[in-house]
Amino acid sequence: MAELNQKPLTDVQLKQRKLERKIEMRHHVTSFSLMIFLTFAAFAMVALELDPLIITAAVIVMALVQVILQFYYFMHMKDKGHGFIRLFMLVGMYFAIAFVLCYVLIVWIGLPIGSV
Amino acid sequence: MAATAQKRSAWSVIWDYLTTVDHKKIAILYLMGGGFFFLLGGLEAMLIRIQLAVPNNDFLSAGMFNQVITMHGTTMIFLAAMPLLIAFMNAVVPLQIGARDVAFPFLNALGFWVFFFGGVFLNLSWFLGGAPDAGWTSYASLAIDSPGHGVDFYALGLQITGAGTLMTGINFVTTIITMRAPGMTFMRMPLMTWTTLVAAVLIVFAFPPLTIALFLLIFDRMFGSNFFIVEAGGNTIIWEHFFWIFGHPEVYILILPAFGIFSEIFSIFARKRLFGYSSMVFATVLIGFFGFMVWAHHMFTTGLGATANAIFGVATMAIAIPTGIKIFNWILTIWGGSIKFTTPMLYALAFIPSFTMGGVTGIMLATVPADYQFHDTYFVVAHFHYVIVGGTVFAILAGLHLYWPLMFNTMLNERLGKWTFWLFFTGFHLTFLIQHWLGLWGMPRRVFTYLDGQGYNLANMVSTIGAVLMAVATLILAYNIVMTIVRNERVGKDPWGDGRTLEWSLPLPVPYYNFAQIPLIRGLDAYQIEKEENNGEMIPSEPLDDFHMPNNSFIPFVMSFGLFVTGFGALYFASGKDWAINAVSNMPVHDWALYVLIAGLAITFISMGVRSWKDDLGYYVKKEELERDLAALEEERGAN
Ligand code: HEM
Ligand SMILES: [Cu+2]
Repeated sequence: MAELNQKPLTDVQLKQRKLERKIEMRHHVTSFSLMIFLTFAAFAMVALELDPLIITAAVIVMALVQVILQFYYFMHMKDKGHGFIRLFMLVGMYFAIAFVLCYVLIVWIGLPIGSV
Repeated sequence: MAATAQKRSAWSVIWDYLTTVDHKKIAILYLMGGGFFFLLGGLEAMLIRIQLAVPNNDFLSAGMFNQVITMHGTTMIFLAAMPLLIAFMNAVVPLQIGARDVAFPFLNALGFWVFFFGGVFLNLSWFLGGAPDAGWTSYASLAIDSPGHGVDFYALGLQITGAGTLMTGINFVTTIITMRAPGMTFMRMPLMTWTTLVAAVLIVFAFPPLTIALFLLIFDRMFGSNFFIVEAGGNTIIWEHFFWIFGHPEVYILILPAFGIFSEIFSIFARKRLFGYSSMVFATVLIGFFGFMVWAHHMFTTGLGATANAIFGVATMAIAIPTGIKIFNWILTIWGGSIKFTTPMLYALAFIPSFTMGGVTGIMLATVPADYQFHDTYFVVAHFHYVIVGGTVFAILAGLHLYWPLMFNTMLNERLGKWTFWLFFTGFHLTFLIQHWLGLWGMPRRVFTYLDGQGYNLANMVSTIGAVLMAVATLILAYNIVMTIVRNERVGKDPWGDGRTLEWSLPLPVPYYNFAQIPLIRGLDAYQIEKEENNGEMIPSEPLDDFHMPNNSFIPFVMSFGLFVTGFGALYFASGKDWAINAVSNMPVHDWALYVLIAGLAITFISMGVRSWKDDLGYYVKKEELERDLAALEEERGAN
């Protein structure tokens, strides 16, 4: 609903903007190549037929790193003004982990917790 | 207002409401939609009570009884209580925080129409081969077995309405976080806004588990998957967990806005600032958070084991602490106030003991060994009616009287209102108090009749008489509403005389743009502060200037209609297919189902496309128009 309040930028501001964009771009490219590398590493491990247990653990860890990169660098969670979004995601994640843990313990493993 | 209140053709009014994106009109739509389903659910309740009035009754057959109780619970929770609360959220919250509309007006309209079509879809089951009959909780072991399409109507209907509710939740979270007037910090938000915020957050987190559970059920019943089919390695307990992970937060979605409405009422009619405001906020947030950690208290008897039961039992009892904080704060708000016994205040006063009794039985139920005795008896029925009727329904009735002038700029008749209150209050306690004993004596819930000589006869008759009183009270309310609309005696600004929050500072009827100038908020109870310090005039926070408003749109209606059509396609898809579950595999084959499904999705997606690719830039309200409106108000004030 706000008005578009566009004044031409001064030279200094323009330079500042360009610099910010450049740094942002570098961050993007770095995290993108890191993500590609992680994906490649995951496939490579499967191709090398390592111990499934190691592969599972490593893939989960790498997936987590990817998720964090994705959120922070590509979906701008590192930028200012994302406090609420971060709060919501952390709370949601907390609930989700609690739910999954419960499912694993009392539905999947199936033994009543007290009996082990 | 004579200039704008010209006679309009009925069709133009209807078209206006079909396309509106104005939160005030959407509130009226929710009120009508929710009110209709409330009457329907009430009718079903009367059928239940008639059937149970005497032993060995055959007024309803056993199968019919199961359909009626299922539809009663489902309708009341999803189609009546929640939409009616959302009606008040829409009517009040944007005005209370000083916004010109919600954050996503289009989404708001879409939310309503999706809810409405979902509700209609669910209720069409009565005419299309029978309603769902597996209880409002639709436990998978029953739901998978239930023959015919009843449960499919439940799963698809709730999936559709649930989507609407989720949209509304997202909308209110965004609105309250981003659109408060200058000066309205979080700790200056009125309690109605706070409870709406927390309830909306709960919607955002609680509805996705329901969506997933319903999808699993839909896939099992309509597309041949095996999530809940035990013979094929499925597990029906998963449904229970999913359902209650949604279900317990859901009961807080129902009660928190009720707390908000009552907090407003107490401070308006005790003419005092709310006692312990910050502890109220703290308690609200805490209840919302705890609400997610206790779902398994509905499953104590499923065999989770002693440790899990103990953890969930204790967690459940912890919720009583923030709830207790609230109760004491309300009592201390009334304490020493100069109380006006208006109809809303009567409901609020009656709410405290009634709801507290429900809370106490809740703690009893959370005591695991005792719950083995109480579970699935009338004791549970008594518990949740005490909290839901004594809390949520009282709040809806109170809010209807309180906010009626804000929504329709007339006043409901107070004398009739008090008749409704006393009859409803008496009827409510008559109906449900005695059900505690019925439960302790061993009468199971959800069973269609009982034998003579078990000692249940008198108590059931008493309960039915109470229900009749509530029905009479509802009829008086309906008469009151009709008479008020017919008489049409307009009231002006701050009709209760003691409004404290921003919404009461607006002229009635509220202009379609709400605020000509967004006001500056100087504290909690913003309007009261200006009454004391500035002669009741809000201080503007911006110069008078043009501002932007969204256009009406018919697309939400079409988009929702598409989902409605899709529902029928999905529903009949598995009919008569040999891969389908037994419940539907011997039904007649419907070859058209797949095409209906595709057509419905096409309607929805094409209208989404139209919405996305066709720019709709809205319009500007011009400064000249605002000046004219303000001058007219000034003149009106001079005339009085
Ligand atoms: C102090 C707060 C509360 C506690 C400790 C509590 C505890 C419980 C427990 C343990 C049950 C399960 C009983 C059983 O099935 O054996 C239950 C059922 C229920 N409660 Fe509460 N409750 C509380 C507040 C509320 C509120 C505020 C609402 C709604 C506004 C509510 C609505 C329900 C409903 C609808 C059921 C029955 C669900 C069903 O099986 O159909 N409760 N409550
Ligand atoms: Cu619960």
